[in-house]
Amino acid sequence: MAARRWALGACLAGAWMIGVGAAAPERHPDFSGTWQRYPAPGTKADPRYAPSGIPDPQLKPEYRAAWEAGQKILKERLEESQPAGDNYVHCIPDGMPAMMMGMFPMEIFQRGEQINITQEAFSQTRRIYMNQKLPKWDEVDPGFYGTAVGHWEGDTLVIETTGIKQNVTFRWTPHSEAMKITERIRLIAPDILQDRITIEDDYLEKPWTYSYSFKRMNGYKLQEYVCEDNREYIGEDGKTHLRINK
Amino acid sequence: MEEEAWMPFKLGLRVVLPCAALVALPAQAHHSFAMFDNTRSVTLSGKVTEYRWTNPHAFVELDADDGKGGTKHYTLECTSPNMMSRGGWSSRTVKVGDMVKAVMSPLKDGQPGGLLLILTLPNGKEMLPGVPNAERYKITS
Repeated sequence: MAARRWALGACLAGAWMIGVGAAAPERHPDFSGTWQRYPAPGTKADPRYAPSGIPDPQLKPEYRAAWEAGQKILKERLEESQPAGDNYVHCIPDGMPAMMMGMFPMEIFQRGEQINITQEAFSQTRRIYMNQKLPKWDEVDPGFYGTAVGHWEGDTLVIETTGIKQNVTFRWTPHSEAMKITERIRLIAPDILQDRITIEDDYLEKPWTYSYSFKRMNGYKLQEYVCEDNREYIGEDGKTHLRINK
Repeated sequence: MEEEAWMPFKLGLRVVLPCAALVALPAQAHHSFAMFDNTRSVTLSGKVTEYRWTNPHAFVELDADDGKGGTKHYTLECTSPNMMSRGGWSSRTVKVGDMVKAVMSPLKDGQPGGLLLILTLPNGKEMLPGVPNAERYKITS
């Protein structure tokens, strides 16, 4: 009798556990797929989904003068249709956080324990390890994409990144190796993803915050991008030239 | 910066774009186009000697008629294969030996080359490589 009761109890407990087991995995939104920056070229954004625009970083006074001088050059270059930064001219990827501007489409590959974000430009890939502790900046080797960990806060994917090389900059903004980037990514409509980026660093007087929006692309497949044939070079005259075939 | 310059196929108004699914995408200048003279264009006719489907940019190499019975070699820079592919190009759009017409913004330094603005294929199709801010490049030839 006792044995039967035990068996029944075990059975019920098992059923209960299966039930819990089925319901237990938290249901997270699925960001898998390809995305392009929103609004699309030549179109106006629905204000509900528009990106924030990017304010100037509030750099500490000792870094500001150099940054402003750089912005002047950058503006002139853009007016001349010259590259915004130097990386691409040298066939070097953006790195973080610049790569999230998403000049070309990006792909999100989502698994429970890891999420990868790949940009078509230069096939840049970030690897975000879920539910791990963010290492201290001086515990990792700095790189282009840094070390990134993520966790879910409800429907929002929170990513923390550190370990960005000091020569990897966004809008020529200087930063320390201890720079920390926190992103809050969520669906603000079924096919619109928002990435709210906050950059914290000792070089800044206050955090630098802005957002991008992305629209889901149906069926688009990212293309290969290997920078194999860079023919641009800076001549002795300081100007950009093209290496041509004679 | 990247908020502007999103008009890769603006020239498309006056030509037939053969692509089925043109995905409009940002085309900010990420490589220098300042070395090209955008105040004038040059039109070349000749035979393709090479078509390089490479990043960061594709190239068409052309032996163009020099108008004196001979040919002169030109290097024509396009944009990146991914952008071009979204504009209907592929690695097989142009073939060695194709007789084509090319409109380009010439190099400022006088070297025989330029930025390709329009390529007319042997079948008459006009192809645009999706130059960022294409409206800034005057077609005078």
